[in-house]
Amino acid sequence: MQTGTFQPAKSVIRVSPFEGYTSYAPYTCTQCAEGWCMTACPVGAIQINAAGAKDVLDDKCVGCKLCTIACPYGTMFFDSDSYKAYKCNLCGGAPACAEACPTQAITFEEGPTRDWLGDFAAQRTVHVLAREIA
Amino acid sequence: MARHLIIGGGTAGLNAIRTIREEDGGGSEITLVSMERPYSRMVLPYYLGETISESHVFTATPASLAAWKVKTLIGRKATALNVKANTLTLDDGSAVEYDDCLIATGSRAAKPPIPGADGPGVHSFWTLDEARKVIADVTPGSRVVMVGAGFISFTILNAILARGAKLTIVEVAPRILPRMVDDACAAIVDRWLRRHGVEIRAGATLTKVEEIKGKRKLSFKSGAPIVADAVIMATGIRTNLEWLKDSGLEMAQDGQGGIVVDDHLRSSVKNVYAAGDVARGKNLVTGAAEVHAIEPTAQEHGRVVGANMAGRDLAYRGSLLMNIVEVCHLDVASFGGWDDKGAEVFTGVRPERSQYRKLLFRGGRLTGAMICGPAEDIWTTNDVGILKGLVQTGSDLSAWKAHLARDPFDVKPAFMATRTTAALLPQTILGRPSHSPSLPQSVATR
Repeated sequence: MQTGTFQPAKSVIRVSPFEGYTSYAPYTCTQCAEGWCMTACPVGAIQINAAGAKDVLDDKCVGCKLCTIACPYGTMFFDSDSYKAYKCNLCGGAPACAEACPTQAITFEEGPTRDWLGDFAAQRTVHVLAREIA
Repeated sequence: MARHLIIGGGTAGLNAIRTIREEDGGGSEITLVSMERPYSRMVLPYYLGETISESHVFTATPASLAAWKVKTLIGRKATALNVKANTLTLDDGSAVEYDDCLIATGSRAAKPPIPGADGPGVHSFWTLDEARKVIADVTPGSRVVMVGAGFISFTILNAILARGAKLTIVEVAPRILPRMVDDACAAIVDRWLRRHGVEIRAGATLTKVEEIKGKRKLSFKSGAPIVADAVIMATGIRTNLEWLKDSGLEMAQDGQGGIVVDDHLRSSVKNVYAAGDVARGKNLVTGAAEVHAIEPTAQEHGRVVGANMAGRDLAYRGSLLMNIVEVCHLDVASFGGWDDKGAEVFTGVRPERSQYRKLLFRGGRLTGAMICGPAEDIWTTNDVGILKGLVQTGSDLSAWKAHLARDPFDVKPAFMATRTTAALLPQTILGRPSHSPSLPQSVATR
């Protein structure tokens, strides 16, 4: 998804810090099988594009935000300027994020979607939680 | 060839039709009976606000329905269902035979039983026709009174202001949004709206509306009357079930009513399904049978019924109560058991930023949530989804409760570390990946 502007606040990839900002993990749309955003849209404004990604059609989106509440992953975004929902559309098959990432923390591989963050996040929050309880 | 009859052209009906065609590729007869041409009620506020044209509201056209091989009886009203003879009688006296049928007749707007409620310039905002009348009456500089401060009223608030009208909201309850958020959240929204020029009068019981010199005079049990150019009654909805009173279908008798359905959304008569506002389906979180008169439930119900009508054996896991509304760039959303009196509750407020969070737990499970915050705050939008995911999966958050009690805003690490994504990925409504909403090729080429 490219907005055409340099504006990190509008990125559809959210980087979460762990363990006191010593490690980070990028998080974005899983292109899930249900497509909760797509099935929730009352005007059919979200469709599957050639890359197999769920994609918002700007001229159809009315800005009702139903997709933002339907997506259980928290990966629907809303642009207050254009008043449209937006999300990762895999840039039509050549994700610019993967190309731009200097450390290969983001790579693009064809394969079944999976929870690529769960184990990482669980390991890196053990100490934080233990400290809080103590 | 199986004959499917869909009664009602709203969200549930259209989703059922699309799913039947996804499943059978056009190999059955579908008849749609609908009083109106199919459109989305959800997007009428944007038509009112003039950010979309009227043509944008339609969810099907005569051409698209023909392409889907759907026989249409538009403008006809269902008047009686004979479940023994498998026939539906219409208002013109004709009858339609079916092998199975879906009742998806939805709701209509309800006005309070007071003098003048049906007078000129006193509107509901529910149907496209009503929307057209409101558009004609709400002009720049006009004074508009909206009766009712609930979800429906708040969905059209922005549009009324965008039309240049001066808006006063009156509400019989002591505060706004009594059935969508709690007192603390309502207070934040109330302050926000007043700051944006909306007048609010809560605890006001409307007693009559009179027409005086082309204007509307609203009188109340106490306090001064209000004079307005237009009045919009957003005072609740009623389900369209009266026409089924002699059908013999089992109906719930308590306040909420609704057609009693099983986990396949079949009524007490097995070839008669019900979906959306008229169906008393399963609540995903509690398992209780409830009416959830919201768009996402109508959509999921419709698809599950469509799959079953097409021959699948598909149980529905239940619907999640949820609402989101944005007023003057403030997002307000609630999920599941947000008003559960028996839940363990953590709240967080950042008054200077108009942010509010509420998390409701039953044991280690998040069973309800509430969120409020400025729309330009990107985290608000992301967290809305994350909270939905946590309630939907029922992830075990026991290890995270102390953390969330301290900071109810920090839900994302808990979502990730409890592997909620892994729990969500296999979940689908139809037991298979969803299709694009466009016409399946199989129907087009058949």
